[in-house]
Amino acid sequence: MKLFDKYNRVNIGVTIVIMLVTGIVYYYTISHILTGQIDKDLVLEENEVFSYVSKNHRLPDVYESNHQQIVFAPIGQQSDQRRFLDTVYRDYDEKKIEAARALISSVKVSGQNYRITVTQSKVETEDLIQIIFLITIGVIVALLAILIILNRVILKSIWKPFYKVLFQLKEFSLASNPIVSSTLSTIDEFTELDQAVISMADRVKSDYQNLKGFTENASHELMTPISIINSKLDILVQTDEFTDKQSKLLNDIYSTVTRLTRLNKSMLLLAKIENGLIKDIHDVDIKEVLEECLYQHEEMLQQLDIILSTDLHNKKIHANKSLIEILLNNLLSNSIRHNYHNGQLSVILDAQKLTITNTGEGSFNFDQMLKRFHKSDGSEGIGLGLTLCKQICDKYGFKLGYKLDDKMHTFSVIF
Amino acid sequence: MKILIVEDETGLRDSIEAYFTGGDSICETANDFTSALKKVSVYRYDCVILDLTLPYGNGLDIVKHLKANGHNDGVLIISAKNSLDDRLTGLDLGADDYLTKPFHLSELKSRVTAIVRRRSFNGSSILKFNEINIDLDAKTVKLNDLVVKFTRKEYSLLLYFIANKGKVVSKSAIAEHLWGDSIDIADNFDFIYSHIKNIRKKLVEAGANDYIQAAYGMGYKFTDA
Repeated sequence: MKLFDKYNRVNIGVTIVIMLVTGIVYYYTISHILTGQIDKDLVLEENEVFSYVSKNHRLPDVYESNHQQIVFAPIGQQSDQRRFLDTVYRDYDEKKIEAARALISSVKVSGQNYRITVTQSKVETEDLIQIIFLITIGVIVALLAILIILNRVILKSIWKPFYKVLFQLKEFSLASNPIVSSTLSTIDEFTELDQAVISMADRVKSDYQNLKGFTENASHELMTPISIINSKLDILVQTDEFTDKQSKLLNDIYSTVTRLTRLNKSMLLLAKIENGLIKDIHDVDIKEVLEECLYQHEEMLQQLDIILSTDLHNKKIHANKSLIEILLNNLLSNSIRHNYHNGQLSVILDAQKLTITNTGEGSFNFDQMLKRFHKSDGSEGIGLGLTLCKQICDKYGFKLGYKLDDKMHTFSVIF
Repeated sequence: MKILIVEDETGLRDSIEAYFTGGDSICETANDFTSALKKVSVYRYDCVILDLTLPYGNGLDIVKHLKANGHNDGVLIISAKNSLDDRLTGLDLGADDYLTKPFHLSELKSRVTAIVRRRSFNGSSILKFNEINIDLDAKTVKLNDLVVKFTRKEYSLLLYFIANKGKVVSKSAIAEHLWGDSIDIADNFDFIYSHIKNIRKKLVEAGANDYIQAAYGMGYKFTDA
């Protein structure tokens, strides 16, 4: 539930209850005052009767005025207690029964007791109360409406900065580079929130940058010692005759250094892609790059007697050529390395996508493979190949897909 | 050929010097920007092997200096910064090639040789090695006026060997030269052997000497000795 709604619900509920209670109290108070007024009128009539009787020693003529009635009834020697009561008034002309107030009293005329009943209709009083009540209700409704509208309008405009901050938080991402801009507000809490969010975003970003920078710098710094080792090895093999044992050791060192170099280069490349440092963008002819990649892999294809089928159409994209080469080389290398003897490989390129389908044993979890340093069992790679592919695809907005269908592994890049 | 090696890492500088010295090459070295600038101001070189991150200055300024003074020395930039911007700036300024660290010395030698060859032949594109004649423009190999057909990789490998004649070239270096560094090299060692076998066969069948020797299982050596 939104804060507005919650607040409005409580606010309106309480207002209604208070208004109702006020209305009821109001009703009874007015009703009480008006009844008192009628009672006074009734006493006035009674006094008139008494004064008439004491002057003329007989009952006055019964007359009936508008909404008022006096009735005498002989009650013998017994006396009747004087009292007010609520009763009904029968209007004979209009044949209506109206709420009324009556005063019962008694008077002695020529030794005979008579009961006097003075009845006055309360219809006018009721009308008055009704009008007052309606006005009150009207005021309540108007007040509520105004309250709701005011809440809506004012709260909405007051909370605007909050929603802006919230929107920025939702859009916040470390990878892309959106700027968390400050949101102006006259409300201290929101200003504070805004500042807290900005400083948090800055801190998170700078931490992330440091971390990324560290990977990049570390890989970078490693390049110099690696290149020294590499060059020293190149010099070492020139020096002398080597025994089989020594040359085997040297071979191992060579391949390890090569692997270290590749690993380091991949990490550096990943860091660079993530840091958005890869520029040098040209029109790249994918078909041309793909044909070159296939040429580079020809020996591997021949060795495994893989049946290659290609269907390549022209496709140009705007990208960095080295990255596209890495992407295609990695995908092709995988499709050959995990293939089997006499297997198949099909490469299809059209304007929408590139599909590489190969035969291969086993299956693997594609999402797991996208993680860094995750290798399938028995793989000799460094575990960054697919991670790089994914990063490159993400960078250019391509979609990297994989599906396994009866030993046919299909990787697709949707441009 | 006369080479200037500008590199502040002693280990790497010494290795490059050791690899290039001998044969028909003379090497000089500089370990910082100031001494490099002093050398290129006074002496001319066939090729300057130039590191970009130097003490007291940026290697790119040396390229600028050379071009500003109309010196036609070849320049090969070596840098650990695989920054494409640097590469482009370097090549735009007039450097001939760019090699990213780490590299194999044989690769460096082959690139430097290519630069020097381009500059010294002045239009002539025939490379002669004893009885082998290579037309670098047409990319054809002739032996005693007989054209020998080489595949692209074999041709590239032959040039690589000639540039590194007398040196043991490791399999890693050959693989990297042939397949680049975006393909896993360990997979390709077996294929080197078959390429070399083909080159030797084609050369010998056309009447050339067998110049390629296997070197203790680590690599190969192209030698006319």
